[in-house]
Amino acid sequence: MSLIEDLSKDKRVVLYVVAVALAIISIGFFGLKFGLDLEGGSYLQLQLQGAQAQIDVSPEKILEYQFNATSVERRAQSYVVMVPGITEADAADDLGYVGAKVAAGENSTKITIPASAESIVLTYLKNNLDADVKLNVNVAPVRYEILTNVTRDSLNALLAPVGGRVPEGEDTFVEGVTEETMQDTKRVLDSKLNRLGLQDIKVKPVGGRFLLIDMAGADVAQAQEIVGKPGKFEIRIQTENNESVHVLYGDAVESVEIPSKENEVWGVPFGLSEEGAAAFQKAAIDAGATRKPEDHYISMHLDKEEIFSAPLAPELASSLNKAPTRRMQATVGSGDVGSEKAKMLNIHLREGALPVNVEIVGSGQVSAALGSQFKIQMVIAGIIALLAVAGMIYRRYREKRIVLPMITTSFSEVVMMLGVWAIAGWQLDLASLAGIIMVIGTGVDQLVIITDELLRGGETAASSAQRSIKERAAEVAEKAGVGKIAATTSKVYLARLSRAFMIILGAAATTVVAMLPLLFMGFGALTGFALIIILGVILGTFIARPAYGRIIGHIMGTD
Amino acid sequence: MELEDIISKYPPRQIMLVPIAVIILALISLGVTYLSTGSPVKLGIEFTGGTLITVPGMGSEESVAEEFAGYPLVDIRDIGNRYMIQFGPMSDSQYSALAKLANDRFDSPDIRHMGPIYSKELQSQVARYLPLSFIFMAIVVFVVFRQIVVSALVVLCALADILIAAASMNLTGVELSLGTVAALLMLIGYSVDTDILLSMRVLKRKGDVDEKIKGAMQTGLTMAGTTIAAVIALIIISNFLYLIVPSFTRMNIIADMTAVLIFGLAADVFNTWVTNAQGLRWYLGRPKMSARGQKR
Repeated sequence: MSLIEDLSKDKRVVLYVVAVALAIISIGFFGLKFGLDLEGGSYLQLQLQGAQAQIDVSPEKILEYQFNATSVERRAQSYVVMVPGITEADAADDLGYVGAKVAAGENSTKITIPASAESIVLTYLKNNLDADVKLNVNVAPVRYEILTNVTRDSLNALLAPVGGRVPEGEDTFVEGVTEETMQDTKRVLDSKLNRLGLQDIKVKPVGGRFLLIDMAGADVAQAQEIVGKPGKFEIRIQTENNESVHVLYGDAVESVEIPSKENEVWGVPFGLSEEGAAAFQKAAIDAGATRKPEDHYISMHLDKEEIFSAPLAPELASSLNKAPTRRMQATVGSGDVGSEKAKMLNIHLREGALPVNVEIVGSGQVSAALGSQFKIQMVIAGIIALLAVAGMIYRRYREKRIVLPMITTSFSEVVMMLGVWAIAGWQLDLASLAGIIMVIGTGVDQLVIITDELLRGGETAASSAQRSIKERAAEVAEKAGVGKIAATTSKVYLARLSRAFMIILGAAATTVVAMLPLLFMGFGALTGFALIIILGVILGTFIARPAYGRIIGHIMGTD
Repeated sequence: MELEDIISKYPPRQIMLVPIAVIILALISLGVTYLSTGSPVKLGIEFTGGTLITVPGMGSEESVAEEFAGYPLVDIRDIGNRYMIQFGPMSDSQYSALAKLANDRFDSPDIRHMGPIYSKELQSQVARYLPLSFIFMAIVVFVVFRQIVVSALVVLCALADILIAAASMNLTGVELSLGTVAALLMLIGYSVDTDILLSMRVLKRKGDVDEKIKGAMQTGLTMAGTTIAAVIALIIISNFLYLIVPSFTRMNIIADMTAVLIFGLAADVFNTWVTNAQGLRWYLGRPKMSARGQKR
């Protein structure tokens, strides 16, 4: 009884007991979540292809080159470009300069482009890379974020005709996209995947260049189909024979509704923007589809791949004769096949493109059956490891009053780690379970250091070897002052304990710093392993082991 | 215990020749592999790129291999009640077809595909982070001891552990994978535990150096014993359990990790109680020797 009374006054022991109790409660309350490799599912590792670069170029030179101009002048908020001869009115529009005014003179044309220097560069890059380029003014000097696969050299080659280049230096060209683009991409993927009704999907950014997607309940082929083919969405209309013309791009699709069934036929209703509807009407009339709808297929393409094709519906054809239609429906077929097709079309329609080009760099799938089998195997491994460790300790001390607290402490460290995992809602994967077993192995080591430091104090190995652990325990207790005065007042005992903790702190610090890099490498595959080891070391060093030091001192004293 | 006797029987310089020879052998092994393959250890599929599929074992190895004819099959292995099939690099479309095929023909296949960008990125990550980890550890050791020779000995022992563990990977055919990299990093952190214990005991306590080393050794060997026991438990579960219980399967990542750890831990026992202990004996016994040297 006095043992418990004594210990309940020690704040280290109280902290430890409270921590373990909290851990048990939170494991019970929140439950443990398991990772993909234990639950089954598939994963994709995507590289976001992009780079951020400073660019050294004069906008005047760009315009001069693009328009073959005789002179380019900056006037107020615009650039005035003089072009010899007569130029087509939409020359500037074609190059992507919005709002340009073209005034034809006698033998020259004056084009006024209202644009800033940066937007001229931006437009030039967009045009030549056929990709989105964003201006990042949050850094100085400003950077251009290019959302496709470029290198410093390819960018320099592109800028050479206009006398521009990426300045020399380390940070003038950085691979990877901005955090904002990363988050945008993540959001598009999130919404895309959630809509498919796949449960428990995680899209996780790794570094500045990679996205990791975990999908439970889908095989890798499906996953790749869903994610791996984002791109340009386009609607085309058949003109004559097998030729078709462009009608609109994905940006004209304003809304998409969930697939619906009408007369046993599945369809995906969608809405067009005003301009989109007008373009659709114009294209249908021009192609002659309003007169003979059955000869004019409307096709939808994603990255130039046909994902839908059907003749223009007769009702729609006749209504298009009178006015543009903004609400339409793409019908795909009946039954389960139709339902599946409608689901896919729904996704494709909604997400014309991700904000950035992505490349699947790695992927895979884990079977749920294998995962649950691994789970069982790891639990067995954990138990056997704990038993093996207990056996080793017993071999050394031959004293169950030491072995039991040691194993209990080690096990309670595992409980605390799992408690933190439960509270944080992190997933336990195979590697983190291995990490837990490693912590059992190393955690007990620290307990051995404490025990030996207390048991053997300043005496030499030779003299101690001749005496039993029991005798030494009694001596420790005497020095610790248990039974006479409170343990905390004994100088010898405390000196030994603090020496033990110097060793433990040193060892703990090296383990933690050695594990730090693992948090960032391997595309997150080993993050769990590193995190659980770091956490285990910290919890063990600051909560469990100080308490153990007190408890073991008291236990050895109360005989 | 024999190791305990060795501590004081021979002069430290003489014993130090053994660890130096071992380290040189390890370096030779790593060097030979480097010259023949371009990297000091054999790179696993995660670093070379390729595809790994495991399927439930239905029929013979040949019949399973037959299913995947037409794909760049590199290796097929029986891992319990499943087959593990390794493929070399292939095009994206080929891989998509392969993934479909595996899902169509087999119940719950396990697939891992590592593209060239992935494996290149991983290689550069390891080249960057492994030394970084080591440097961090060394800094901590120097901060803890604030004595150059003592710290250098500890760091040297950790380095020797890693080199020996890596060299034994070459000897036993364990390839560098994410699991083995994790194990090497783990070793960096773990290997200094006993070295710190030894150095602290020898430096901070009063008494005869040899006796202090022997005392620390009792604690240190128990520590090594518990860790090795835990690792052996994992080795048995991940590698051999499926041979006894047919429904179990080899756990590759754990098997890789533990293979490296067991060599590293064995090397650590040797390096702590021979290399580091003798180094300390030499260092602490040095003033007398140098005094004698001056007279000569």
